[in-house]
Amino acid sequence: MPGPLAGIRVADFTLHAAGPFCTHMLAQLGAEVIKVESAQRPDIFRRPHPVYGRMGAASFDQVASAKRSVRLNLKHPKGIALAKQLVARSDVAAESFRPGVMARLGLGYEALRQVKPDIVMLSVSASGQSGPDSHFAGYAPLFGAWGGLGWLTGYPDGPPVEMRHAMDHSVGLHAAMAVIAALHARRRTGQGSHVDVAAREVAAAAAGEALLEAAAGAAPCRWGNAHPRMAPHGVYPARGVDSWLTIAVADERAWRGLLAVMGRPELAGDARFATERARHEAREELDAIVAAWTREQEAEEAAMRLQAAGCAAHASWATPRLAADPHLRARGAILEAREPDGRLRAAVGAPMRFSATPAPGIARGTPRLGEDEERILGGLLGLDPETRRLLEAEGAIG
Amino acid sequence: MQDAMEAGLPLAGIRVVERAAGVAAAAAGRLLAAMGAEVVMAEDPDGTPLRREPPFIGEGIGALFAYLAAGKRSAVVAAARELHALLAGADILLDDTPVADRAALGLDPEAVRGRHPRLVHVSVLPFGAVGPKAAWRGEEVNLIHASGEGYLLPNGLAAELFPDRPPLKVHGHFACWQAGVAAAFGALSALWAGEGQFVDVSVQDAGLAVGAFAIQRLGDGAVEHRATRAFRFGGVLACADGYVELLTLEDRQWQGLVQLMGAPCWAGDPELADPVRRGARGPEINARIRAWAAGQRVADLVARAQALGVPMARYATPAEILEGAHERARGLFAPVALPGLGSVPMLTAPLRFGAAPLPLRGGPPALGADQHLLAPVAREVA
Repeated sequence: MPGPLAGIRVADFTLHAAGPFCTHMLAQLGAEVIKVESAQRPDIFRRPHPVYGRMGAASFDQVASAKRSVRLNLKHPKGIALAKQLVARSDVAAESFRPGVMARLGLGYEALRQVKPDIVMLSVSASGQSGPDSHFAGYAPLFGAWGGLGWLTGYPDGPPVEMRHAMDHSVGLHAAMAVIAALHARRRTGQGSHVDVAAREVAAAAAGEALLEAAAGAAPCRWGNAHPRMAPHGVYPARGVDSWLTIAVADERAWRGLLAVMGRPELAGDARFATERARHEAREELDAIVAAWTREQEAEEAAMRLQAAGCAAHASWATPRLAADPHLRARGAILEAREPDGRLRAAVGAPMRFSATPAPGIARGTPRLGEDEERILGGLLGLDPETRRLLEAEGAIG
Repeated sequence: MQDAMEAGLPLAGIRVVERAAGVAAAAAGRLLAAMGAEVVMAEDPDGTPLRREPPFIGEGIGALFAYLAAGKRSAVVAAARELHALLAGADILLDDTPVADRAALGLDPEAVRGRHPRLVHVSVLPFGAVGPKAAWRGEEVNLIHASGEGYLLPNGLAAELFPDRPPLKVHGHFACWQAGVAAAFGALSALWAGEGQFVDVSVQDAGLAVGAFAIQRLGDGAVEHRATRAFRFGGVLACADGYVELLTLEDRQWQGLVQLMGAPCWAGDPELADPVRRGARGPEINARIRAWAAGQRVADLVARAQALGVPMARYATPAEILEGAHERARGLFAPVALPGLGSVPMLTAPLRFGAAPLPLRGGPPALGADQHLLAPVAREVA
């Protein structure tokens, strides 16, 4: 299956989580993504890291899957020359260094345009390519803090909450969308562009309505699990340990459905809960009524009964439940990836299905460092084995 | 409305029809509009339900709708015939009509394919258009818990303070927003491939995709849980006048932190030079860091930290972001005129295609403001 992005080639200089997730998504949709690292400076995510309280690689296997791997030493002039040759044969050059690093390496946008005039260059960074904070270092929790999403998330009487890898991967998903938009522009005008995706702005965009509320003079607040219109709405305790049921009453149909399933039809005639507005004002009272019922329910079974009655509900799922879910597997949202050691593991698929150009997903797992040099440096760049051996001896490859 | 072609926007010339009752499909349209596509909301006579979502910032102006509809057009379609007339000139359809209601509008994939063979038809539903849960309803709170991140929040300080409370959703519509991005990405990818087709996007899938880390860790034999996925030290720190985030992943960042704290005696323990030992002694280190941070002021602390290469950020309030020097320098917000409110700054888009920010080409349209787009239909009927 070639996928909708078949024929697009990406020279991938990204590291860590956000940038690699972007190019991983492009690869899952059929683009040829060539990951550039060096033995001296491999992607830090290839290495075990103690910060997660264990010595294991972070999310490398997922985001490196479906990519090709070559070693180029970007500290060596001939390594830079090879990188430029690779870019000259690519549609997209993606990077996620701190702003300025690519230019210092001799691989800035203007330098890449010299070798490929219509190149689409993607730069993913914490704060963007311009502005007083552009040099700041950052990780997902900092993006969330800068962008307001962290401050807005939390229990109303508690502290802000850290955003984690979902924030990084959201940045990558935005970047993948932007790259394809830039390719459409290239198709129409013949011009490439330098795509600038700032992680803190991605966090802010997910809270754009709260920022507008503040701009209009209001004071947005932390809603916790509550909603400005719906009630009942929240995460309710279910039977068992650490078991939770989410319920959102979006309309009258859902309200009647909830009452029917709870066996409390008399509440429909209760003046306290007669309208959506009344229910919202009495939401704490309602939450107590709903929670008293949910405590006695098995979450999965209650969600099915509520859905059958027209009320949005779902159990709160821990990861093993997600990985095993028949619906997600039927959709290819969870798939199996094979690692170099032959082991199969669950991985996430691209979050869309195409009827005419089905995406290839993860046809191959994590590449070993430099695994595809014969194909890329030999085949694509046309370097014969002797030239490559010499370049390796000089330290340009490796 | 500023012309996208004149403004040199990447998606100039691409025409999108949006049938959105929910945030995900509307977010996809918002992103495509920001990048220069012409996006027409095909609304029922009483308008999309998004127009009626609180919080309201003015007479009849919801903040969510104003943000999601900025730069779009609006046409009321009273009948399926009018909707299909709009689709005749479109490249992309974004639709979140529930599966069961599609056939009546001629919006099931086969019917759309028959009438508009070149159209990229993007379905955006809570659980997707196919699969055992395709008919399930889902709001953000359900979907962020059906896709994994909900169960894993809060982590760090909030989880420590309130260990018995229910898990917590991310503010707003995080999972739905991801589905919006996925839908825009899927639409543009299908359009790139050059043939009309059906693209099936699910909010649950999109939330799961950005939660890939937990799936990866499961393969490594570890099950993530909100009570235990805190960083060993750092995280959310309460200062004298607000909160900061601190995260040191590299050795040099830890050394910078020690310097930032004034090289206290405890940090000189030779064992703490080893990152693995630091991880093991995380709670003890964190108690020290928290006690130190409580006496610090945010602005001063963050400036000194970044100068030392220590990753630290202020937990900015919305008002602080609007006034932020960095955001202003980058032009992240642009003024839009809102009825009764005058000119109000609104976030344009979280990406750009050069040095300049993407422009906001207009505010939210009034219901039916672009009814003339249906004029050819009226003529045809006459």
